[in-house]
Amino acid sequence: MPQSEYVVQMKGITKVYPNGIAANQGVDFNVRRGEIHALMGENGAGKSTLMKMLFGLEQPTEGEIIVNGETVNLSSPTVAIAKGIGMVHQHFMLVPSLTVAENMVLGMAPKKKGLFIDMDKAIAITEEYAKKYNLHVDPKAKVVDIPVGMKQKVEILKALVRGAKILILDEPTAVLTTQETAELFRELVQLKEQGFTIIFISHKLNEIKQITDRLTIMRGGKSMGVYNTAEISMEEISRLMVGRDVILTVEKDKAAPTDEVLRVENLEYTNDWNKKMLDRVSFSVRKGEILGVAGVEGNGQRELVDMLFNLNVPDSGTVTVNGKSIVGLPQRKIRDAGVSLIPEDRMLYGIADRGTIEDNLISNRIYQKEYNKGLLFDMKAIHEMSDRLIEDYRVLCKSRNQQVKMLSGGNIQKVVVAREFSSGPVLIIADQPTRGIDVGATEFIRKKLVELSRAGAAVLLVSADLNEVMELSDSLIVMNGGHIAAYFEDTSALTDEEMGEYMLGLKRQSDEEIGKVLYAK
Amino acid sequence: MRNKRMFLFEAARGFAAILLALAVAVIFIALCTDDVGGALEQMLLRPLFAKNGTFNANSLWVVLSRMIPTIFTGLAVCVMFSANQFNLAAEGGVMLGGFLATLVGIYVPMAAGLHLVVCLLVGAVAAALTMLLPALLKVKLGASEMVSSLMLNYIIMYVVLHFLNNNFADRSKGSTQTFPFLQTAAVPDLVPNTDLTWGFVIALVFVALVAVFLFRTRWGYAIRMIGINQAFSKYSGMKVGSVIVLSQVIGGFLAGLGGGIEVLGRYSTFLWRELPGYGWTGVTIAILAKNNPLMVPFAAFFMAYLERGCELMRTNAGVPAEMLDIIQAVIFLFFAAEQFLARYRQKLVVKGAREEMKQAFDSEAAAKGGNA
Amino acid sequence: MWEQLFEMIFKPDFLFSVIRITSPILFAALAAVVAEKAGVTNIGLEGIMSITALFGTLISYWTQSWAVGVLGALIVGIALALLLGFFALKLKTDIILGGIALNMIGGGGTIFLLYLFTGLRGNTGELTTPEMLIPQVNIPLLKDIPVVGEILSGHSLLTYIAFFMVFLTWLMLYKTSLGLNIRAVGENQNAADSVGVSVVRIKYIALGISGALAGLGGAYMSMYYSRSWNSGMIAGRGFIALAAQAMGQGEPTGSMWSSLLFGLANALKNKMEGMQGMSSYLVASIPYVVTVLGLVIYAVATIRRVKKTRRAQNAMTAPAGEEK
Repeated sequence: MPQSEYVVQMKGITKVYPNGIAANQGVDFNVRRGEIHALMGENGAGKSTLMKMLFGLEQPTEGEIIVNGETVNLSSPTVAIAKGIGMVHQHFMLVPSLTVAENMVLGMAPKKKGLFIDMDKAIAITEEYAKKYNLHVDPKAKVVDIPVGMKQKVEILKALVRGAKILILDEPTAVLTTQETAELFRELVQLKEQGFTIIFISHKLNEIKQITDRLTIMRGGKSMGVYNTAEISMEEISRLMVGRDVILTVEKDKAAPTDEVLRVENLEYTNDWNKKMLDRVSFSVRKGEILGVAGVEGNGQRELVDMLFNLNVPDSGTVTVNGKSIVGLPQRKIRDAGVSLIPEDRMLYGIADRGTIEDNLISNRIYQKEYNKGLLFDMKAIHEMSDRLIEDYRVLCKSRNQQVKMLSGGNIQKVVVAREFSSGPVLIIADQPTRGIDVGATEFIRKKLVELSRAGAAVLLVSADLNEVMELSDSLIVMNGGHIAAYFEDTSALTDEEMGEYMLGLKRQSDEEIGKVLYAK
Repeated sequence: MRNKRMFLFEAARGFAAILLALAVAVIFIALCTDDVGGALEQMLLRPLFAKNGTFNANSLWVVLSRMIPTIFTGLAVCVMFSANQFNLAAEGGVMLGGFLATLVGIYVPMAAGLHLVVCLLVGAVAAALTMLLPALLKVKLGASEMVSSLMLNYIIMYVVLHFLNNNFADRSKGSTQTFPFLQTAAVPDLVPNTDLTWGFVIALVFVALVAVFLFRTRWGYAIRMIGINQAFSKYSGMKVGSVIVLSQVIGGFLAGLGGGIEVLGRYSTFLWRELPGYGWTGVTIAILAKNNPLMVPFAAFFMAYLERGCELMRTNAGVPAEMLDIIQAVIFLFFAAEQFLARYRQKLVVKGAREEMKQAFDSEAAAKGGNA
Repeated sequence: MWEQLFEMIFKPDFLFSVIRITSPILFAALAAVVAEKAGVTNIGLEGIMSITALFGTLISYWTQSWAVGVLGALIVGIALALLLGFFALKLKTDIILGGIALNMIGGGGTIFLLYLFTGLRGNTGELTTPEMLIPQVNIPLLKDIPVVGEILSGHSLLTYIAFFMVFLTWLMLYKTSLGLNIRAVGENQNAADSVGVSVVRIKYIALGISGALAGLGGAYMSMYYSRSWNSGMIAGRGFIALAAQAMGQGEPTGSMWSSLLFGLANALKNKMEGMQGMSSYLVASIPYVVTVLGLVIYAVATIRRVKKTRRAQNAMTAPAGEEK
């Protein structure tokens, strides 16, 4: 077999990050010249890590990368670019106030008279490439003023103008509207016809079916095999992608839900880029139960949680806790109403990194009488509380005075969880509560969640981790494209396959079925 | 163990910064005078010790008295910087506080004891209210508190000078100054016939108060957390805007108080014709103290000592006292430099982490051995 | 009183003085513009101006050449800005604190340096010779036009350079690859980095340019405006320049207009100081008050603009039926 069949070969790639997490284990990944190849997998399956290594952003711990038949050491993006590899990141690498043409030639600007940018030439280059590859952009428009779809074209053109023959697109459709997606696909097919190789990261099955030739599925850092797109059914892909390798079970009694605590009705939100992120979302959570919110990330979960804690404002809709509206209330009032939140972004919202563990444990209760004596803090009470929480939540540390940033990820999350769980919440919103932390801490936090719910708290568990959301939830909703796609009152009989089909948008329940999650008053 | 080692390292780093600054000083001194040893002796020893090496108490009183206004400005900057607010108007706060305290001291007679307190409060409250300008502009409009506070300094200065010259000047004197304030408004001497007044004690009391405020109250806590992470503070339920305003108002109060105590303690009339410079020294002190109020007196002592040393050096060795500003700048730069000697800190961290891992491993092994 | 004031303002010599007073602020404002475009806040401009003003005078005194003096001030300005860059970029000193340190040196440090070099205390008045002063330029033809000539001709060489610098700065920022890199670095470091633009290097260069411009501003102050160096002569111009930059929305031309506004306030102050019934001190505070007002107006305008665009976007997205 001639070597030239494959333009990229990654052999036995293993990547272990310094914190000990093995993101890739012996992955083989081959891309044929001139194909559109999908790299599929759930969040955390290791797709991004694999592609970062191909673009020189990370280096493999073990394994070999061969580009155009030559073994290469991709030590930086500059090297990767020189080898003809270009990447379009999910977060655009564009300078908003510069024009499209300026962004195109940044770092390689054509000059005239030795000093000045030859802007006409920059525009000409942009137009030439735009025309050649049928990617229509306005060279003179400022990036800040152009729609997202055009920004993406600029990113693709940027890669092409730097000589890329292999394009990696990281979830390119995540930010696009339906029409923009359709346009992008036409363009990608044209690029393919002109001989370019495209690696397409996605977890949207219908898209994959539409445009890819072959696909590689990853799960848990390993490759689940390579398939010809035409020869594999969507159900099969879904089964390979979504599934649990190790099932961590958490023992729990059957839930006995009572009164409704959280009620969300017709929540709508369109983001600044014109994309509808929440579409008529309605559900409720009762005392004593865990309602899981499953779904591939980016399907409105983050926006939903932000609305519930007034970190963002919905376009319309109502949110009530024990019958009282909490929309637009300051966070202190929301907390006074008994709501706790384990935020998704632990380092941004969850902790004050330079503060001590104690500082981080009292942040949500500094106004409570219990911890104040008149004007002053009751230090004794605060110390006791800190020591007790450190012990109860098994935070591994030297003392309550240790800086929280010195702790490991799992222990930092235990600090957050200890603070949020111990304030006597009637409603706990747990957003990706165990992401990226060690098994011990994960198990501990999951047990605590069950414990609290059985003790009478209402729990809303948002997680992209299928294992977590299926094991912990009493009932469950699935989000897809800003909608609730399914509601399962009982999770015990639910299979991974079924979940996958709803998560990936292959199936959707009727409005009537979904409507059941809004318990009648 | 690691914490202790890090503390020692931080101390050593500060010491290295000071040594570097002194080395720079030696170079400059050598350029000014042939008798470097003599000049250094003036600068480093003479503030506390007489020529024969005996301790000079009077000189100590001078140094301590210099600390009074700068402890206040140092505290003011500590509070504002803790909330991550680069408000630089402590300078103006001192002048305004001093001026208004003096006016009350002249024109509003009151019983002894009460009078001084009222004078100081009026000055401090006025300065606190002035800080609402940069603070509200920041919170409501997002305008840089740094630029507006810098402008505020000049505005305060000219407004004070206007009233001083046009309304309250004692025309019988050669230079522009107010009439003398009533004796009931004077800050009494702590050590008779020196500049060291009870203001020093008040300053130390405020060190304790500010420390308690920052570390033992919910408002101080909120200030510190907002300084570390605003998003976290908001999510936790703190009123970020109000606390930012509070931090600057308290900064203004402390600066104004310092100004009042300085004028009513050191002088008998108000005679500043320009910004006194204590605000900037306060910034240096807050940096040296790493925003910890309890360290402020030490930093203030260090600065006062250096200042006195430079003065003596000017008088007795002919080296201009303004060299202080250069020394100060060098210390300042290196103190604030996170990466200064950072390589060594990294080594310490790594070493510490290794030792910890080894310990953990050992104890685990021991535990396993015990079970077996 | 007001009548008297109006009479003064509408005389050519008043507008002449506005230009004269604006020049140093303009240099510093452009310095702030370039640094800020690269994402660096140079609060040390005040100090750099003071120090370069001193060195400009000293060097011109030693060489008895104003041209060498100006060049010296420019080089010292670059050196100081790079020093600030070294601390901020390499040693990670907070750039605001680094700037404050430069201002300390500009305050007392310059008095010391002056003594060190000359034995003088506080000002260089006695050193000044005509050779040390930046010459005035009478522009042929222009100078003969009534009124306009009186206003625009006869300024110092550096004044013309200052206004020309507005154009050059714009040219540099918007027409050269350096400018492109500066703007990219200031706005999105990752984007610049991802295409191989060295972020640190660009920041050093921007700071260097900023220092050079501030250096020219310093030279103007001591070698033309005040005809000698004295301590405290910069009097907040470096800080005002930061405000001018902010008010001018970080653009060269915008900053020129706001500098002119401050120049106008200052010139007004100079005129009014001598007038009956005016408090010279209150008048002296005008430039600073105007600066604060300018900041407020700018901030309000920015907020309005942001709100407006958001509203416009929402209006576009919301289907007609769902209008609330």
